[in-house]
Amino acid sequence: METDVTPQPVQEPVESVDLVVSILADFDSDAIAKTYQELRALPGPLRIAVLENDQRERAEPVSSGAAVRSEDQKNAVVFQVSSPSAKPDGNPTGVSRLSEAYRSVFAAAAQLQARGCCVMASKQESEKPGWIWQLAQPLFDKKVDLVLPHYARRKFEGLLNNSIVAPLMRALYGKRVNNPMGPDIAVSQRLIQAMEARAGANGNRRHPLASLTSTALCENLQVAEVHFGARIYPPTDWTAMSSVLMDVLSPVFLDVERNAPCWQRARASAALPSFGEPRHVAEDKSDLDVARMIESFQLGNRELLEIWGLVLPPATLFDLRKLAHPPADRFRMSDELWVRIVYDFALAHRLGTISRDHLLRSLTPLYLGWAASYAQDLKDAGAASPEQSLERLSLAYEAGKSYLVSRWRWPDRFNP
Amino acid sequence: MWQQVKQALADSTAHFLTVLAKLLPGLAALIVAVLMSVVLAWILAVFARRLLASLRFDERLGRWGFASLAGWSPQNSPTILVSRSLAALVVVSGFLIGVAAFDFEWTYWFVQAIFAYIPNVVAAFVILLVGNIIARFLARSVLIGAVNLNLQYARFLSIGVKWLVIVLAVAMALEHLRIAPGVVQLAFGILFGGIVLSMALAVGLGSKDFVTKSLERDAKKAANELRVSKSVGVDPLRHL
Repeated sequence: METDVTPQPVQEPVESVDLVVSILADFDSDAIAKTYQELRALPGPLRIAVLENDQRERAEPVSSGAAVRSEDQKNAVVFQVSSPSAKPDGNPTGVSRLSEAYRSVFAAAAQLQARGCCVMASKQESEKPGWIWQLAQPLFDKKVDLVLPHYARRKFEGLLNNSIVAPLMRALYGKRVNNPMGPDIAVSQRLIQAMEARAGANGNRRHPLASLTSTALCENLQVAEVHFGARIYPPTDWTAMSSVLMDVLSPVFLDVERNAPCWQRARASAALPSFGEPRHVAEDKSDLDVARMIESFQLGNRELLEIWGLVLPPATLFDLRKLAHPPADRFRMSDELWVRIVYDFALAHRLGTISRDHLLRSLTPLYLGWAASYAQDLKDAGAASPEQSLERLSLAYEAGKSYLVSRWRWPDRFNP
Repeated sequence: MWQQVKQALADSTAHFLTVLAKLLPGLAALIVAVLMSVVLAWILAVFARRLLASLRFDERLGRWGFASLAGWSPQNSPTILVSRSLAALVVVSGFLIGVAAFDFEWTYWFVQAIFAYIPNVVAAFVILLVGNIIARFLARSVLIGAVNLNLQYARFLSIGVKWLVIVLAVAMALEHLRIAPGVVQLAFGILFGGIVLSMALAVGLGSKDFVTKSLERDAKKAANELRVSKSVGVDPLRHL
């Protein structure tokens, strides 16, 4: 079967295609062969360029490629094209490296005048056939500009996204985005051009993963979500937690700063159009070590108060001090407190109150405190509660937006 | 005899008056120089105070980690400390210029020696300032890093690193000031070595269990790798 799907390179200059596909996930040869098969089975006259990220293939320029022709023109034509950059390694904190890879995919899509591009950067627990096309189809059929994934999630997965990135985006831009940073995404030519224009206007390059959703929303482009199964997350490296936080939050806060005129106008939030059926996954039964996270928080609460005092207003510090000594089973950090902390850190990132590296790394114990509190909440409330709990948190972000706007506009005068 | 005494007294009075008369222009110049420097110092102090206040210097200094400087400052304001220091520097310079106006060889050499020493003082001050900034930055980095690694002695590590850098900066500054260089070298060696040894002992003894656990974890890591790479590992928490 593999001999059928392995591309037989036929040299042919590639000037333009409809879709550029890049596989950044660590797929094995069978999965890649299956992907080619799926792409070839798509209806014609679609022209698809698959970026080859392997360094060995980089000798070929982007403008020429090898075509894998189907026997008749009813089906799509698939080209292999060398990617300008290598595949990022599996480093869980390599967000910046991943960002370079996205940038090169967008550059290739622009060069090949593609109507859109599709990036697959993660593996799913149960690979469903045709999921690349599920992601890319709304670009062509529904004129959507950004298609984001909505993964089925377990209660303790994607916590950084669920506790900061997604609810922050929702509160700021008024759209209920579940995974604003993908990483599996489909992007239209229009959005790529908007990203380029914004980068040009600001004189600096934006972090594609952090900026895609905000750019699409600020430019009033169409954003939609596609339901997927659970994705496979990298295991937690507890020694590199602060690096993960810095890697992810630094571009997000930078983007918040750049888009301030846009998000200050947005009010309330609305759901995004979604495609596919929501999927459910079995919850994991493993025990979570909440004590370790509470211990980290308490240590931070003891030793980092001096640094937090430069960032957080007195009322927030007072609330944190109250969390210093409760027994582990009664440890709770309220959603309102967590939201104020995130907003104050975003503001301090903008004001340069302290070194940005110090700022974001010092958030780690607070984040672990929130994670511990969330875990305790779920233990008390039962299995049905993760979605409710995260929805409550998102609403707290929305309710606290006026606090952020006030502090953003008058950081000195409004300091409760 | 009486005549001779009178003559001697008259001569010495005349000599005293001559010397005094010679001193008077220098004295007048000194007074004028000091008065002018006081006026200049006052203007500079006012200018510096307003400039620093507009830059919110006190607040920024707190953010940069120099909050303790406020405790040493008059009225708890580093701005006033800086402006008064500037004024004092101008007055002292004016005084030295005034002293140089005396037409004596020793005043000339004295003032020249002091002015020749000023670059050393400035260099020592800059070294101390930069050393202090680096010490505080590193101390903060170590504190945050150690807290994130869940090390209970994070504060101790941070203070140790801060004092290591400060001791180094002070030794370098004293070296520039040429104050007892032999003693400084010896004291620096003892202090630096002492801090490193005490930190090594404290951290080594304190983290014995931590190191043992880390090594055990590393040994188990390879065995667990396959299992972890499946959908869910032992620890269900996933942040990214």
